[in-house]
Amino acid sequence: METLAALGQGFLVALQPTNPMWGFVGVTLGTFVGVLPGLGPALTIALLLPITYTVDATAAFILFVGIYYGAMYGGSTTSILLNTPGESATIVTALEGHRMALAGRAGPALATAAIGSFVAGTIGTLGLTFLAPTVVELALAFGPADYFSSMVLAFVTVSATLGSRPLRGLAALAFGIWLGLVGVDLQTGQARFTFGLLELLDGINVIVVCVGLFAVGETLWLAHRASLRRASIVPVRGSLWLSGEDWRRSWPAWLRGALIGFPIGALPAGGAEVPTFLSYWLERRLARRPQEFGRGAIEGVAGPEAANNASAAGVLVPMLTLGLPTSATAAIVLSAFQGYGINPGPLLMESQPQLVWGLIAGLYIANLLLLALNLPLVGLWVRVRAIPQPLLYAGILVFATVGTYGISQSPIDLVLLYAIGLLGFLMRLFDVPTAPVIIGTIPGPLAEQELRRALTIAKGDPTVLLTRPLSATLLALALTALLVPLLWRRLVRAGLRRG
Amino acid sequence: MPGRRAGIAFALAILALAALVAVEATRIPHSAYAVVGPRFFPFAVAGLLGLLGLLLLLQALAGGLLPADFAGEPFDRRAVAWVGLGLFLNVALIQSLGFVLASSLLFLCVARGFGSTRPIRHAALGFLLATLVFLGFSRLLGVRFGGGLVEGLLGAGA
Amino acid sequence: MPGWTRRATAAGALATLGLVATGLRSRTAQAAIDQLQLFVPAAPGGGWDQTARTMEAVLRVTGMVKGVQITNVPGAGGTVGLPQFVNQWKGRPNALMVGGMVMVGAVIANKAPVGLQATTPIARLTGEFEVIVVPAASPHQNLESLIAAFEANPGSVSWAGGSAGGTDHILVGMIAKAVGVDPEAAAYVAFAGGGAAQAAILGNQVTAGVSGWGEFAEQVKAGKMRALAISADKRQPGIDVPTLKEQGIDVELFNWRGVFAPPGLKPEQVKALVSLVETMAARDAWKAELAKRYWTGILLTGEPFAKFVAEEIVRIEGILASLGLA
Repeated sequence: METLAALGQGFLVALQPTNPMWGFVGVTLGTFVGVLPGLGPALTIALLLPITYTVDATAAFILFVGIYYGAMYGGSTTSILLNTPGESATIVTALEGHRMALAGRAGPALATAAIGSFVAGTIGTLGLTFLAPTVVELALAFGPADYFSSMVLAFVTVSATLGSRPLRGLAALAFGIWLGLVGVDLQTGQARFTFGLLELLDGINVIVVCVGLFAVGETLWLAHRASLRRASIVPVRGSLWLSGEDWRRSWPAWLRGALIGFPIGALPAGGAEVPTFLSYWLERRLARRPQEFGRGAIEGVAGPEAANNASAAGVLVPMLTLGLPTSATAAIVLSAFQGYGINPGPLLMESQPQLVWGLIAGLYIANLLLLALNLPLVGLWVRVRAIPQPLLYAGILVFATVGTYGISQSPIDLVLLYAIGLLGFLMRLFDVPTAPVIIGTIPGPLAEQELRRALTIAKGDPTVLLTRPLSATLLALALTALLVPLLWRRLVRAGLRRG
Repeated sequence: MPGRRAGIAFALAILALAALVAVEATRIPHSAYAVVGPRFFPFAVAGLLGLLGLLLLLQALAGGLLPADFAGEPFDRRAVAWVGLGLFLNVALIQSLGFVLASSLLFLCVARGFGSTRPIRHAALGFLLATLVFLGFSRLLGVRFGGGLVEGLLGAGA
Repeated sequence: MPGWTRRATAAGALATLGLVATGLRSRTAQAAIDQLQLFVPAAPGGGWDQTARTMEAVLRVTGMVKGVQITNVPGAGGTVGLPQFVNQWKGRPNALMVGGMVMVGAVIANKAPVGLQATTPIARLTGEFEVIVVPAASPHQNLESLIAAFEANPGSVSWAGGSAGGTDHILVGMIAKAVGVDPEAAAYVAFAGGGAAQAAILGNQVTAGVSGWGEFAEQVKAGKMRALAISADKRQPGIDVPTLKEQGIDVELFNWRGVFAPPGLKPEQVKALVSLVETMAARDAWKAELAKRYWTGILLTGEPFAKFVAEEIVRIEGILASLGLA
């Protein structure tokens, strides 16, 4: 009841005359930066920080969370339409989403992504409203050992994205882990694989890997055979809207995605990518027709997109309850609080109820605005594929350059982007799946750091992975996830032989 | 590309990568205090790559792995060369000519590779796109893309 | 298709013309006025970037300069941007780079070819002292008890902080040295970003935590962490935490930030920049910003600052060497 009253107050704040306008500006800008490869909400908000000197706090935060949520929606668009995910959390979306687009079903793919984002964003925001204090208590119980074990679980589930060629997929994964190791080692300060280049000391930006492998690699791939270029021009067939069957298949995936995404997002080191892998794996396991996966299964778009958006709401849990900046975006938003003389911490909700609840109410509004903005946009986006191909791919490469060079102004980043693009082309030529590279680049180094943290804390005793209940449970889950399908296949085969 | 040779080439590339990772890993300085040092994971990755390379080699020698074939359709060297030229020119010229002109060239080359037959119109479109992007970023977000000829004219050279 | 192209061309041309027009206008307006260029060798959003943007706001609001332009060149603790500032911005009389102690450490640890010696130091602006905390549930009620445990078995006390070789790690190294423990024996657990380290401390996953006071202040005030000591030279007004020195550990550390001009300036140009920064630091608007962000104003300008930077380079090199990082 208390919460509801506070939320009501929040809506009064968020609906003050100019605030919905700020929300609208935010979600529009957010959708835009989400669509552009390489630009993310963190950078956009950082660059807009000077606005805090001229606009009042509630308006600024409504603008910022609008950008944040908007970028989560926008990210899936290029993945589905062009197979060029601009950020790491939408790679999984491209796996099935682009297949759907190639089958002329870009409309339903975009629609299930947009509605799923709305459903999951709203569930996540409800979770933030009512469960935040409980969730954060649980999240703090996670130590480095537990994180390591959850990464092991993530790696097991990644097997679902390896495609039909597991050896080559694993090689791509190992290559991705190696890419992730480049740079200064956080634990010891030693440079690894930097080949004497200062520019590599901070590591290789995942976005550069992502845009290189997908946007640049895909462009080269399409260029190399005339038949591929013809095949990628697919008129939109049938309805833009979800059919009855699409709805039936989408909604359970949305709910499951939201339930996976929100708690993992709330973990201080959970991240936005791992929930999308988990959701994809789960949908594939639960699908009634798993053979459709890899050929454009709508669940494979609905689930990961929902997980991605719910995790965005989850990230706000430690930020608003404890003042913890657990993602780049959260860190920037917290520094904006400081610009207003507010020091975000555990007492934030008590000391600034107007602002916090106004911000939460702003999230509900942003979600609604995004749905209203994105559903009509589906019709517009599918027409992106009607742009003459020479212009479309020329434009994609120009935007890929903007996202990389525009931010760092380093030609080395640009060389890296194009080199990785060439690699992505070669991988396609050799029929090696590219998604595992990114998947290795993110959880691989995280797993390394968490393992070493855990061992440093435990004075080098590796049994800590088994003696901590959370860690042991997660490892058991990973083992189950690995073995059950194998055993199941054995049983089925044995049954067939007998029967 | 013939399947068997391609498979062997790929396996050898993975083995070479494994060797590179292993050699570079030995050059990471030791640190005494870390329980698991900075070399542990690099060596593990090198080992994994080596193992996978060997398995892939065996598989390829046994004649597996045929990459997707295009039924004798030729590899479109001209198109790939145009795109590659665009990328190369962009990297080579972006610092001297500036973002706008280098990106216009990139746009033109890629469009050409994808079969554009109207170079002048498309060069103009590329220039407009790059200028719009540049101005949008420098005006709205204050991101500066370094100096250049056009950038200087637009009053936003760094 | 041609129709599509034509329409897009026309629309694009119109929009470009509009933007070009505004661009040309603002350029002619700016040509006559005093433009300050701030070079930030880090990504937007971090401490140096915030310093630059706060300077921009104060300088603009008080009308001291007409315009401020900020350029970000991120990477490797500032060692990617520094050579660019020294080489490409040489001789620019209206340019300042933001930097600080972290850059001194990064130059040493990364064995960077160009150091802060190559710049013209203008002023130290702010400092942030460090705080040592334990989780609220920790058995350690005071620094003495924590240090006793550390001396008895260095590996059993885990310290959470930022990346290895950074300010937090340097403080742990200094404390270890001061109490006679091998700095390399300290179980230092590095976290990326403040949030993860704070979560580990709040969740009682580590023995102690080290960070800038600003990061932990709210947690301490809320009673979620216990502050045992600060690394300031003396008690700080409004902060009820004793210094390390008071508790018998002779260690003092400020994570300072300042501004540097490019090389090749004439003495009167240096003077003009020093006086600009001195005037800014005296403004109430600047002081108000410092208070908001938990920054302590420790202004030091010109020659004395240059001497201070030279001493810091020697001091930090020594500490990093003892941590096995130089």
